[in-house]
Amino acid sequence: METLIQQLINGVTLGSVYALIALGYTMVYGIIQLINFAHGEIFAAGGYIGVITLSLLNSRGVLESHPVLGLALAFLLAMAYCAFLAVALERVAYRPLRKASRLALLLSALGMSIFFSNGMMLCQGVYDKAYPTQLYATGQFTVGGAVVSYIQVYIVAGAVVLMVALNLFVNRTRLGKAMRSTAQDRTMSALLGINANRTITITFVIGAILAAAAGVMVGLYYGSVRFDMGFVPGIKAFAAAVLGGIGNLTGAVLGGMIIGLVEVFAAGYLASEYKDVFAFIILILVLYFRPTGIMGEQVDDTRV
Amino acid sequence: MRGFAKWTVWVVVAALAALPGWAAAKTLKIGSLSPLTGQYAADGNDIKQGVEIAIAQWEAKGGVPGYDEIEYLPQDSGCDGKQAVSAANKLVNLGVVGVIGAYCSSATLPASEVLMEGDVVMITPASTNEKVTERGHKLMFRACGRDDDQAKVVVEFLSRELKAKRVAIVDDKTTYTAGLAKNIKKFGKGKLEFVAHEHVNQGDKDFSGVLTKIKATRPDVLYMSLYNPEGNLMAIQARRLGLKAALMSEDAVYHPNYLTIAKDAGEGTFFTFGQPPSEDIPEVAAFIKAYSAKYGKPGSYSAYAYDAANILLGAVARVGADDPGKLAEAIRATRMQGASKYIQFDEKGDSGSTYKVLVVKDGKFVPYWDPETGKRY
Repeated sequence: METLIQQLINGVTLGSVYALIALGYTMVYGIIQLINFAHGEIFAAGGYIGVITLSLLNSRGVLESHPVLGLALAFLLAMAYCAFLAVALERVAYRPLRKASRLALLLSALGMSIFFSNGMMLCQGVYDKAYPTQLYATGQFTVGGAVVSYIQVYIVAGAVVLMVALNLFVNRTRLGKAMRSTAQDRTMSALLGINANRTITITFVIGAILAAAAGVMVGLYYGSVRFDMGFVPGIKAFAAAVLGGIGNLTGAVLGGMIIGLVEVFAAGYLASEYKDVFAFIILILVLYFRPTGIMGEQVDDTRV
Repeated sequence: MRGFAKWTVWVVVAALAALPGWAAAKTLKIGSLSPLTGQYAADGNDIKQGVEIAIAQWEAKGGVPGYDEIEYLPQDSGCDGKQAVSAANKLVNLGVVGVIGAYCSSATLPASEVLMEGDVVMITPASTNEKVTERGHKLMFRACGRDDDQAKVVVEFLSRELKAKRVAIVDDKTTYTAGLAKNIKKFGKGKLEFVAHEHVNQGDKDFSGVLTKIKATRPDVLYMSLYNPEGNLMAIQARRLGLKAALMSEDAVYHPNYLTIAKDAGEGTFFTFGQPPSEDIPEVAAFIKAYSAKYGKPGSYSAYAYDAANILLGAVARVGADDPGKLAEAIRATRMQGASKYIQFDEKGDSGSTYKVLVVKDGKFVPYWDPETGKRY
């Protein structure tokens, strides 16, 4: 029982991270039908900005006196930088190709993913960068014998806050309404005076902000970041977005949680070396019976 | 007339082809194989830098007799057999006389087959799997220790010094880590009880699932038979889950990165590593000084790579590189104080193991237990 609760906690933590990244995939797909493969690298860039900011503050002794402020600054800078990166990415690699075939757009995305990953390697080196975790990633309590560390609570809580904020943004604000209408019918919403380019840029920015937050969280949780850290979580989050029904926000969160839980339970009860296999088997099974994913629907008007 | 024109063309072509041969200096080409990118790039770049320091020192002394210059061709082999084979093929085609590398045993074994076929001498600075020198290749040498020796030290330490009973092992299924785990289980039979033997994948970041499973088996010791980034992450996550077992790992996780990344979670972790000789030995001090001046603190395998390059270049200086068999004999006859240990090869091409147990104490690797005396330092 103790082990079961522990695995549940492990899985939910991992799932929250996947869900945050998956949201970026699914929003971008919803609005321009593009699988933004460079999204995983934006997540990694967020992790790097976080470690750079925190290390800098730590070396000046600011973290000792203002730990919460320092962490908030790290998150804000990471989000700002990733937002900028995503806007530049959309401007340079996707906007000129908007009228081109979807395959060209997809290849452009793959190319940007490789470009960002190698760019990070060149600027930041091949070595792991260590997070100054001693201030944040410590402390724990037990629930029914299972150990919950505070950092896990922060990750899950942070992810929930961001997801609720996103939900409110998409459903309650004018910009969110513009996003939904652009996703449904770009031409029609343009005719009604909605600036499609601006709306698409905002979608990229929001996806990048979520990915940046996930990047800093992962850095704090695992204690280090590396230039290629975006690849595998990127693929998993993409799988999560597809599993939940690509284009559907609730689906992305659900998909992320399922992938995270399946991975942890497969590692804990079956065989750890095949945990990814089980995660993808679930994906294949769901797609076999529900080709549009768990929450996805046939009609186009449910996107975003 | 046409025949004459044809001949003239041939003569000119032949002369042009031969010209660079006269004009260019005689170059000694040596290569290296190590992961320069990807997750094992830290150790891989340490190896490359170790070789570079050795070459720079030879050049400062006036180069290798019989050659005008040394050309160093470092290749990225990853930790991957396929990539290592293609890099080895490239080195053979480039005409290197010797190769330092590779890092992962799973890359060294297939790459060495290519090099042996191409009559190229290979000295590995880091691959400890026994098979590397057990295949009877005359051109294959090893500057580091062997895993069967390492496993014996681990078992002795766990059973005699730590008095551990229940041991859980995690490996990543590659030649080196799985081989080491197998050896530990073989030598530990009857002395230790292996309560879990789990496998993970290279590149995994999250080990919470498998560690929770291991925690339920209540081990006294968690033995991490992994490579560096995974080992760092596993230590953090094991402590976070409240695993009380002692942590122990090996020469691939042993790296300054373990200290900076695992931090408090790494405190008290035991390692086996070929212990570096005293810095009072002039050769050792000279290496550390030269390396630190250029690249900062030497990594775990910098000294082994430096020694491997010196062994190769020293042998070329004595007998030349025209006959690979002769070159290999010269390497086998090498007797020298290196930066990693005193080098003396046996018939198989091994240079002896110097495994000691170290412990992480106050953020530093400190010698802990000497297998020869069976006592703590």
